[in-house]
Amino acid sequence: MNAVARLLGALLSRPASLALILGVGLGYGLLYLWLVGDIAGGGSGFRLAFPAWERAFELRGAWRFEPVGILELGPWIWTFSPLNTLIALGLGTLLGLDLAAARRLRRVARQCPVTAPTGGLLAGLSALLAGGACCAPLLAIWLGLPLAGGLAVLAPWLVPLAYAALALGLWRLAVRQAPGRGEGGAE
Amino acid sequence: MKMRAWALGLFLLCCLVARLPAAPPTMSDPAVPLAHSLEALRAAVRSGGPGKDGIPAIDRPRFVPAAEADAWLAPDDRVIGYYRDGEARAYPQRILVWHEIVNDEVAGEALSITYCPLTGSALGFRRGDSEFGVSGRLLNSNLVMYDRATDSRWPQLLGLAIQGPLTGRGLQPRRLVWTTWEAWKARHPQTRVLSRETGYVRNYRRDPYGDYTPLRGYYRPESRRLFPVMAEDVRLPPKAMVLAFRDARRAAAVGLPALREAGVMRLSLGERDYRIIHDPGLDTGWVFLAPEGTRIDPASLRFGPGGVSGPGVDALEPVPAFQVMWFAWVAFHPDTRLVREGRRP
Repeated sequence: MNAVARLLGALLSRPASLALILGVGLGYGLLYLWLVGDIAGGGSGFRLAFPAWERAFELRGAWRFEPVGILELGPWIWTFSPLNTLIALGLGTLLGLDLAAARRLRRVARQCPVTAPTGGLLAGLSALLAGGACCAPLLAIWLGLPLAGGLAVLAPWLVPLAYAALALGLWRLAVRQAPGRGEGGAE
Repeated sequence: MKMRAWALGLFLLCCLVARLPAAPPTMSDPAVPLAHSLEALRAAVRSGGPGKDGIPAIDRPRFVPAAEADAWLAPDDRVIGYYRDGEARAYPQRILVWHEIVNDEVAGEALSITYCPLTGSALGFRRGDSEFGVSGRLLNSNLVMYDRATDSRWPQLLGLAIQGPLTGRGLQPRRLVWTTWEAWKARHPQTRVLSRETGYVRNYRRDPYGDYTPLRGYYRPESRRLFPVMAEDVRLPPKAMVLAFRDARRAAAVGLPALREAGVMRLSLGERDYRIIHDPGLDTGWVFLAPEGTRIDPASLRFGPGGVSGPGVDALEPVPAFQVMWFAWVAFHPDTRLVREGRRP
């Protein structure tokens, strides 16, 4: 745990890493909300209303909650669910942390010829795959692929799996960069 | 003392039973030919993604006048219409795609308006004191409903319970009309329209599956289905809409282009004769059981709020019919008779 805390401290103290984490967190969060249908087209103006706060904890499906309000902004409509938004931003932030840590590992590796330079890249790729897994059934339906039926069975597991995979990836990156592994040190 | 305790217990039990919702009204011999056993049907049920009531039925529907609905319904938007005893209701497809079931009461009769976007089918059923909800399960891509009194499972296209205490019993169907807002309003100027104030927050301007005007996404006739089915038939594109009906032994599907071309069509299923009349205003068909010797003069037909009338039609027995995507109908009824354009029935 110390290794993870040290890595987080290092990442959050650097403006470039912080910007990457926030950018990816927000970008992936919005992408997730678009893929699950909370953000969609159809708007034509401005409207903000929260008529259903009492439904905040009502489940619509696996890891999907009822919206409590609606935000219409230009061509976009966001049916806002606090818990869906929290899940989206959580996944996005973890993905951002993984990518920032992978970038840091890659930079360290360049300075240290003992470490394979592709390590960080692979870690970043696995983070992206894990982050995207939870949206696979929605993408399949969107693309009209017949495998949506099979993926629907997996749906309840995909969000927790994505969280677990991203957290595990972050832990592995933290351990690899911990002092004493020969890869640590300042950026 | 013991007698008093028994009487009190009996009284409390009666109170409890009186508070339980009654099961929906059913028929013991539904006119549904089963090509698959109930066991096979149960085995083919699969998860559709959302959980039970994850797609929430509308239990307290509100309605607005047609003039008010004009502000947000386009003339060619799809609606599901129902008419009974002077009352007309329009249920916009763009609302039902998010809810699939409306537990309503029209002209004193409690009924459930049901719509499955994946099979394009809209069917009405009497519900009595019970209500229907969305189970989150699919059979042949079709909505599997549950009733809140007994939790029995009802595939919408069969209208027959395949699981639960009411297994084998059938619901009492009510004819709904799949048409456009413009056509429904022209036929029923006093219609009331399901309001967007459903009690839930949804983006009613967007259909998550595609679009009917023009046909896009999942609704394109040639597009692929998403979930496995029990039987396939390539005589028509999977999502081609057909007018479907059945009796206890046989099923039939009529392609709408063929019906438009014929105007009035005669079709035999076994020993039974049917007449199918195209309604040019609503672009749908009305099906009647017609005894031998029935003659219908197409020029004398009139189309009003209650459907079609005229000499030779008024005495006929109407048969429940509905529009549905071909792949779904044939998955339930692989032996279905099909009438296409250019082919004599």
